[in-house]
Amino acid sequence: MTLMGRAQAPQAASGPPAQGTSKPATAPKRPVTAPGKPAAAPAKTATAPARHATPSSPPGPAPIPINRTVIVLDPAHGGVDSGSQISDTTVEKNVTLALAFRLRSLLTARGFSVVMTRDEDAAAVPNAQGSAMTLDDRAGIANHAHAAACLVLHATPSGNGVHLYRSELEASEGQAFVVPWLTAQSPWLAQSQRLEKQMATAFSRAGLALVTSRASVRPIDSLTCPALVVELAPSGDDADSINDTDYQQRVALTIAGAMLFWQNQVQPPARLEAATKEAVGQAAPSDATRTQP
Amino acid sequence: MIQRHQRIVFWCLVVCILGMGVLLAVGRQRGRQRIEALAAGDETPLDAPTAMAETVTLDLANDADGSIAPASRQIALPQEPNARARALIDHLIAEYALPGSAHALPPGAAVAEVFLLPLPLVGYTTDSSTAATKDGGFRPTLPVGQTDPDPVQPKQPGGELAVIDLHSTFVNQHPSGVEVESLTLRSILGTLHANLPQIEQVRFLVDGQARETLAGHADLLRTYPAADTTSGANAANEGQSN
Repeated sequence: MTLMGRAQAPQAASGPPAQGTSKPATAPKRPVTAPGKPAAAPAKTATAPARHATPSSPPGPAPIPINRTVIVLDPAHGGVDSGSQISDTTVEKNVTLALAFRLRSLLTARGFSVVMTRDEDAAAVPNAQGSAMTLDDRAGIANHAHAAACLVLHATPSGNGVHLYRSELEASEGQAFVVPWLTAQSPWLAQSQRLEKQMATAFSRAGLALVTSRASVRPIDSLTCPALVVELAPSGDDADSINDTDYQQRVALTIAGAMLFWQNQVQPPARLEAATKEAVGQAAPSDATRTQP
Repeated sequence: MIQRHQRIVFWCLVVCILGMGVLLAVGRQRGRQRIEALAAGDETPLDAPTAMAETVTLDLANDADGSIAPASRQIALPQEPNARARALIDHLIAEYALPGSAHALPPGAAVAEVFLLPLPLVGYTTDSSTAATKDGGFRPTLPVGQTDPDPVQPKQPGGELAVIDLHSTFVNQHPSGVEVESLTLRSILGTLHANLPQIEQVRFLVDGQARETLAGHADLLRTYPAADTTSGANAANEGQSN
């Protein structure tokens, strides 16, 4: 996992924080982390935003922080998980990583900070050497970045062009105080749908074949950011065309251009004040009950 | 005058012929007894049960454009709902195994079993609020429906949860990719919804066990709503959400 780019705010945690204890300066009181696991805090991602979406509002629930210049890239698979067999010599994990590197360069050149969940073949949990990264760990990294967009990169030998997917969850109005891990994407689905449209428009203008749909692909349902699965398919009938550098560059350029427009449009969902009080109210009696002798 | 050695050969041949005849008769008798024994224990009906072919709707996927379109087929299906659901999915997968399919899947049996469970799901769990009995016995049990604040409720009375147990041979050979895996699941969900409307939710198992993904991408751990997954319905939903 790496961070590249310029968005380094003074209030950012500078060093790699200890797992489970690290919180960005603007993190909510209960950050969304993998259940049963400490927060997979990004070693170099605990950076505050250069430009925050913190509209002035009367006292109430704290707004959900968002870093408009941070993009999370999750090159899917890695290590023993090779993903799909694209061709005799190509496996999915290598294609996703190559596309992520290409995209990282283009986004960084446009002033974004890029958080990658892996920048080598086998991803490892930060501050826990030897532990293979799970999908929940990847979601934890993405959620701590409070990014303007989270892109989960996949590749496939079937179909052609680019496939965009958003979560199949049902959209909810706002984000509750306590975020359920398996449906954390629900409050962000409206934003994910807008991002999908933005990118679909960009791909259409670029003349690339596009399929948009919804899919349940972990860990997208657990992401608290506008999130899409971007699946790269061959440009033609030949599966090996997916490795074509010109083709990958064209796709990456389109995504980077779309992100430039998107960073000014993204709006975090509102916090549900009523739900907050209700959640706290519900939690209190049970806690009291447990403490009774 | 017949020589002595010629007589010996003649009688040897006669003995061999008689021996072979006896051996043949015994073997034939044993074979007949074996067939009679098999026939006595076999309860297979002489005539296969017949059912009237009926029109069913299969939601067929297309990898080229990621679409799902309904198609009508005349198929004889059993009346029992579990067997009916299984037969529907088997026919659907068989369509994909045909040469030239727009969503090519490996041939062979895909579904081991389909279980239809009435909603809401109820069961029993141990009462954690009470201490275990002094003699080391178990804690009392409580119905799950009473303790679960958000039980799985049916949308319509009589709604059911379908648990589809897939064969690992089918899952292991399934093509890998977000699109191709999602299309398979959506195709199954749409087909069940179109022909068995009482099915509201669907869960997947592989060889009786929960499995994380179908072939590395599509989530098999979540409960899917059975709904119209055709591209036309999706476009309508998109329009409403906008």
